[in-house]
Amino acid sequence: MSAPAATPAFPYLLLPTLWAMRNRARRRERGDTARVALFGGIGLLVGAAIFGVVFWLTWQLLDYAELGDYLIRLGFSWLFLTFLSFLAFSGIVTALSTFFLSEDLRLLLAAPVSRESLFYSRFVKTVGQAGWMVVTFLVPVLLAVGLARCAGPGYYLTACLTLVPFVIVPVAVGSVVTLVLVNVFPARRARDILTLMGLLFAMAIVMMLRFLRPERLLSVESLPDIAGFFSTLQSPVTPLLPSFWAGETLFAALQGGADWLHAGALWTTALAFLVLARAAFSRWYFTGWSKAQEARKARFTRLGFLDSFARLLPGGRPRQHLFVKDLKVFLRDTTQWSQLLLLVALMLVYLYNFRVLDLDRIPYMSGVVKNAYAFVNLAMAAFVLSAVAVRFVFPSVSAEGPAFWIVRTSPVPMRAFLWSKFWTGLVPVLVVAEALTITSNHFLGAAPFLRVLGAVAIFFMTFALVGLATGMGAIYPRFNAENLTQVAGSYGGIGYMVLAVLFILVEVALLAWPSSIYFWHQYREIRIPPAQIAVMAASLAAAAAVAMATFWTSMQRGIRALEAMGA
Amino acid sequence: MIAVESLVKKYGSFTAVEDVSLSVAPGEIHGFLGPNGAGKTTTIRMIAGLLKPTSGRVTINGHDLAREPEAAKASLGFIPDRPFIYEKLTGREFLRFHGGLYGMEAAEIEERAREVLELFELTRWQGELVESFSHGMKQRLVMCAAFLHRPRAVLVDEPMVGLDPRGARLIKDIFRLMSERGVAVLMSTHTLEVAQEMCDRISIILRGQIIARGTVDELRALAGGEDEHLTPVFLKLTGGSGLQEIEEVL
Repeated sequence: MSAPAATPAFPYLLLPTLWAMRNRARRRERGDTARVALFGGIGLLVGAAIFGVVFWLTWQLLDYAELGDYLIRLGFSWLFLTFLSFLAFSGIVTALSTFFLSEDLRLLLAAPVSRESLFYSRFVKTVGQAGWMVVTFLVPVLLAVGLARCAGPGYYLTACLTLVPFVIVPVAVGSVVTLVLVNVFPARRARDILTLMGLLFAMAIVMMLRFLRPERLLSVESLPDIAGFFSTLQSPVTPLLPSFWAGETLFAALQGGADWLHAGALWTTALAFLVLARAAFSRWYFTGWSKAQEARKARFTRLGFLDSFARLLPGGRPRQHLFVKDLKVFLRDTTQWSQLLLLVALMLVYLYNFRVLDLDRIPYMSGVVKNAYAFVNLAMAAFVLSAVAVRFVFPSVSAEGPAFWIVRTSPVPMRAFLWSKFWTGLVPVLVVAEALTITSNHFLGAAPFLRVLGAVAIFFMTFALVGLATGMGAIYPRFNAENLTQVAGSYGGIGYMVLAVLFILVEVALLAWPSSIYFWHQYREIRIPPAQIAVMAASLAAAAAVAMATFWTSMQRGIRALEAMGA
Repeated sequence: MIAVESLVKKYGSFTAVEDVSLSVAPGEIHGFLGPNGAGKTTTIRMIAGLLKPTSGRVTINGHDLAREPEAAKASLGFIPDRPFIYEKLTGREFLRFHGGLYGMEAAEIEERAREVLELFELTRWQGELVESFSHGMKQRLVMCAAFLHRPRAVLVDEPMVGLDPRGARLIKDIFRLMSERGVAVLMSTHTLEVAQEMCDRISIILRGQIIARGTVDELRALAGGEDEHLTPVFLKLTGGSGLQEIEEVL
């Protein structure tokens, strides 16, 4: 009989992640460099912007002596409070994935790995995955505050030592909640519930932040109200939360001192919750894991009306069946449709921005600015559309995944298949696009000519953007992607976004030039010469032609790519 | 050896495995047969420590899986039907990691990895990422990992899936050699020829319960037929050939 082997310590279980990262860096795939450059560049820009704004604000607050200190202190508390709730939700969702749904658990659980090692390795993963975004955001903020206040090295050391327990506490709580949830619901159902809760939470945060109208802070006359604004965010329970302790600890360090009480509270609470999570893991993990292996029941099973509806649609029987299949798969995948909720929130915020836009403060310019804004609006709406298309339409071919052989071996021509994908994507996107453009132009009070132009233009642009997404999705499919978000972020997805942006810029230029001529003549109350009208019409026709050419060429190339597959 | 006593697994009101007991002695190759959905994989996953039984006991080489999970798993080699391998690791790295999980020393892992990679004809591919492997190559890599730590008991779920005839032959030879050296092998399979050729004893599971156990001859006698092959015996024991229904449908 062999002696029991020494089980590996928990850092050993993190090695595959590190090795995989190293291998991925060594063996770059097509588009990796472009992806890193694009996302890295955007990340650096956002980081620099955050740093700049926070540095400027902190610098300005130096003039307000005690009030400035008070506001920084409140700002810290508010910042950490926001991230605390974010981390708790993120911790729950991430813990579900790392503790219960990860593929490698089947390997690790069959190996002689101690519960302790498994817990700590999974917990470290959860902390990393749930916390990296918060830490990435906090670094430029805390750095900017420190530099603007000329803080000593103690402040930066305290910042590092504060962030660690600050992330551990909510993630540990989230892990325990997940352990309990999975023991109540099967993990796969729990994931749906949590995904939905997380998205509703994100939606609420986005809308709350916008409806607070933070732009009021930038107006000089409302300065005395700032303290009141921040104070409304305080409540009697906040001093009991780790966010308050983190804020106080950092503020003391910023002043050159040390707040041992709150730092101690933060660390002891983090360790206590870690011990609690470890005990919960020992108690409930294996039972929960076993429950997580149960197959889940299909939801939205009563979708018979879809079949009746599909029969009314033009196109042959195969196209109708493809449509019904796509819709059922979409509705049964919570990760798919729940993201629409977030999109709805973003669109509401987008429309709200136009609702509260105070252009009348510049009365002599308001007419010009409103009409110029109408074009900005058109471009923005098109950007929103391209973002929707890259997430929902571009992956539609890849969504067939390993099951694509069914379509390929069936007597359905690739042409019919891709057109089915196009129409399924076009209709909802077109409804959203028109609603967004018409409503925002209404809120803006744009001229009737521009309202009509905007509605017609977005119609053509939607055809082009959805056609481009469908076609490029067929040219650059990723049938082996783990999820559709990964498809959207692939080489083809990035290529689509670049082409979509170029297309939008060309369209806006072709539309804005004749419109500006129209308004110039209207403002001076003079007739437009017939030759000028002809050139204007040619420009508008060129915009329509570019849109139609983009749409048609993309679809044809997509069909050819699918037909050439396997050749 | 592998010993299973009164194993039960319930999913809500559905009983997937009901009172299953079996024992695989050192040196024995024990076949575990049954139609789709009979409870084979659920039983195997409970023995591997991947599922918590509702009740019952699993002992591997004298270690109770519930009380000494690490010791029990350390002496078991498990080959799942749908193996997970880190796609972004190379074959060699995967084996290195796997050996570490089983408490092997670095030098020992390198030596053994070289041997098993050679045995399974993967030496050429050891530096390639697993994502570029074919299904059969992945299956062979999983076997390399399972045999790396010289287990005293081996648990296999569908060993022949995805293997070419050469690979299948190799696996059969390896199991036979292991059995000669005293390793207990519990093997679930749908390939009845493999079971007939290799297994010392066979257990047949149907709707979560063991309905027959014995050598091929004993099962043949139990089915009351004179058939030379195991397939008709299996069909008789598990519910007929369904030929009449096939004719009706066609």
